[in-house]
Amino acid sequence: MLTKEHTLCSLTIDEKHEFLGVTSQFKLMPNLSVKNVSKRYGPVQALENVSVEFLEGEIHAVLGENGAGKSTLMHILSGFTNPDKGSVLLDGIPIPLGEAFACKRLGIAMIHQHFTLVPEFTVQENFALARLDSPFCLADEGTLAKDAISTANSLGWKIDPTVRVSQLSVGAQQRIEILKASSGDASVLIFDEPTAVLAADEVEDLFRVLRQLKATGKCVILIAHKLSEVLSIADRITVLRKGHLIATEMRADVNEAQLADWMVGEMPEREIRTGASLQSPGLKVTHLSVKGDRGESAVNQVDFEIHQGEVVGFGGVDGNGQLELVEFLAGVRTMASGSCEWEGKPISESNVRIGYIPQDRQNDGLALGMSVLDNMMVSTFQREDLWNRTLLRFKAASEWVKSLIQEYSIKASNPGQRVGSLSGGNQQKVVVSRTLDNKPTLLVVASPGRGLDIKATQYVHDQILRARDQGAAVALFTTDLDELYRLSDRSYFMVSGRIQEDRGALSMVRG
Amino acid sequence: MRRTAQVLLFPIGILLILVLTLLVFRLPLVESLKLLASGAFGDKFGWSRTLVKTSPMLITGLGMVIAWKGGIYNIGGEGQYIVGGICGAALAKILVFGGVALPPWLVIPLILMACIIGGMIWAFVAGLLYVKRGVEVVISTILLNFVAIQLLSYLVSGPLQEKKKQVPLTDSLPDGMMLPKLSRQMDLHAGVLIALIVAGIVYLFLFRSNAGYQIRLVGESIRMARANRLNVNRSKLSAIVLSGGLCGMAGGIEYLGMSGQLGTGFSQQWGFLGIPVALLGGLHPLWCILSALLFGALFAGSENLARFTTSGSALVYVIQAITVLTYVSYRAYMDRRPYLEAS
Repeated sequence: MLTKEHTLCSLTIDEKHEFLGVTSQFKLMPNLSVKNVSKRYGPVQALENVSVEFLEGEIHAVLGENGAGKSTLMHILSGFTNPDKGSVLLDGIPIPLGEAFACKRLGIAMIHQHFTLVPEFTVQENFALARLDSPFCLADEGTLAKDAISTANSLGWKIDPTVRVSQLSVGAQQRIEILKASSGDASVLIFDEPTAVLAADEVEDLFRVLRQLKATGKCVILIAHKLSEVLSIADRITVLRKGHLIATEMRADVNEAQLADWMVGEMPEREIRTGASLQSPGLKVTHLSVKGDRGESAVNQVDFEIHQGEVVGFGGVDGNGQLELVEFLAGVRTMASGSCEWEGKPISESNVRIGYIPQDRQNDGLALGMSVLDNMMVSTFQREDLWNRTLLRFKAASEWVKSLIQEYSIKASNPGQRVGSLSGGNQQKVVVSRTLDNKPTLLVVASPGRGLDIKATQYVHDQILRARDQGAAVALFTTDLDELYRLSDRSYFMVSGRIQEDRGALSMVRG
Repeated sequence: MRRTAQVLLFPIGILLILVLTLLVFRLPLVESLKLLASGAFGDKFGWSRTLVKTSPMLITGLGMVIAWKGGIYNIGGEGQYIVGGICGAALAKILVFGGVALPPWLVIPLILMACIIGGMIWAFVAGLLYVKRGVEVVISTILLNFVAIQLLSYLVSGPLQEKKKQVPLTDSLPDGMMLPKLSRQMDLHAGVLIALIVAGIVYLFLFRSNAGYQIRLVGESIRMARANRLNVNRSKLSAIVLSGGLCGMAGGIEYLGMSGQLGTGFSQQWGFLGIPVALLGGLHPLWCILSALLFGALFAGSENLARFTTSGSALVYVIQAITVLTYVSYRAYMDRRPYLEAS
């Protein structure tokens, strides 16, 4: 039995033209072209007037750092996001922007980095789910899944359709994700950082499949930031930086150093400053390993020191163990092995005062439904001026919060205002003020300027430097090079859970 | 400004719901409203009926507030209330009917204490299952309700049955061993006062104490609590145990103030009714006083109404359900917008 979905998926290009009501004179070369697309999120210009052409039968890599605009571009292509300006043409026809289902039917498939599978369903059921277009579809799951299974066979994958997805390895789950997306008549396949979750041999297998998809005439778009992988597989490479299109070049015409320069741009000058008067050694970490949420060793045998009165920056692409190291230093995660000392004593026995400014301020930093006062109180339990044993001295606390609101010029009308109703910059100021007011001796900061406008970023940076000048040892984790070089006195890069010396643009993109 | 408007709209909305329900039931509007009002507040007996029904609901409602604020959806107030009553009656069997001669000022607090501990234990089971094994509290507490109901019906016709072994009831407490009453003609007892005091204490606990603050924080954002090195499991566990303690206490108030004995009909759903009280009170201890009073008045008033029309008692539940549904959907609607306010 055929469903509506089947017929729509198996449309030929001519039929697609008809589906969209386009007359023959407009038919052009079959490809996907992006024309002058712009997109803005609040203060951040995610894409600025970007135009690219993706051809059939090519593997086209889109390169860029975190926040370069890769994901935004791909979300526009696949209909998840509506751009502010510009258009996207598939085979010469404008695609319905911002309509994910329509884009999928037209043959643009996205393979997400975070899988969109139902873990409790079998492989077959997941395939069938993707082909189901109405709740009254009567076809059985075997029929609906047939296409995907035959695609699997043609790609040389052995798949047991009756196994639950939750029992599969990550690599196998990705295969299911790929099959699910490509089994229709998708002509454009967008892979969002597909290698991030894979082991080395799985990457090889994935690349083999990408080449095979290319050979069958599909347009394969690969979002990536690992240069070596891109160079080994892409036919053409597009580089984005801070929302701008830097270049689109053939693979043969570029080399690693050139791409790294394009991605990172001009390396920011490290600011020269008088501060950094190294006091006694503060934090000393030796052979430290920390496990991630899935039990993998996210941080692997790292060694570093942070003196009191200096900012040590950790750069690098997200997902290389920064989160785990941050959470360890902040006392949230425990170490798997190694040692961590403060002023020569094990950190748990030392008198270190840790301040933590988390990267994800809306989830880890703040409880958005609670008041400014409630959010400020979180790290004050030791303060006898605010707590009478276990009871809150409400007046004193209100006064204290008011003084912080004033001192850090937070735009909040009163301590009882909900934090969720403040702007992003003021929310960050709440986190920064309560953290710094505690006079931490070890300050752990992750991407403090993320999502803030220039003025707020500047303010938060100044506060961090002020804490350093007052003698705090500061560990700064950021993916933003400007931030890294503006704040840190020394810097490292994190690559696959290890720490590397700073080697400029190349260390940024080698992740 | 908006806050005041909301508070003013509230009674109007409830009156509207009341009127609509009466119309749907095809009851004479003015007559019925009069009957409801006089039944609830008409004279001192009306007030007495209202307040006596308010107090157990208020206490279980406060229990729900603590749990729900802590992100624990305790649906087991009924079970915790019953087990509280059971523990109270068990202790009474020893202290009052076991030949131990102790003065009432000692016995009554001891029995109330036993009730609280009983509720705590019942809630602790669900809490422990949640913290150690990840069992959803909603499920475990609902199931524990059934266990408690069956346990009660076994005990009142078994170990706790009255001396003559004729009816499935426990021995009836002598008047001297019950909570003091305002007058002999009325049911109004000191439990009402206790409930009000408890509301104040719960308010102070949640908004002025360290442990209460942590419970609210964990309920609002587990991730923030974790990032600030707070013990999430300890807060969750204490939230549900305190909640259970209050529900057990409500059982004790009903036992010591009203019934004086336990039977299978010991609970008139006071444990369940705590949930609408808490929700309508906006999960705020002090607003719960008003929402409990509202429901108490509805129950008392409908008793009066039931003398003239058969649909009287069903009416309360209808009104109550509509009120809560309206309120909850209003809240859900408002909650969808908060983060858009930020510019």
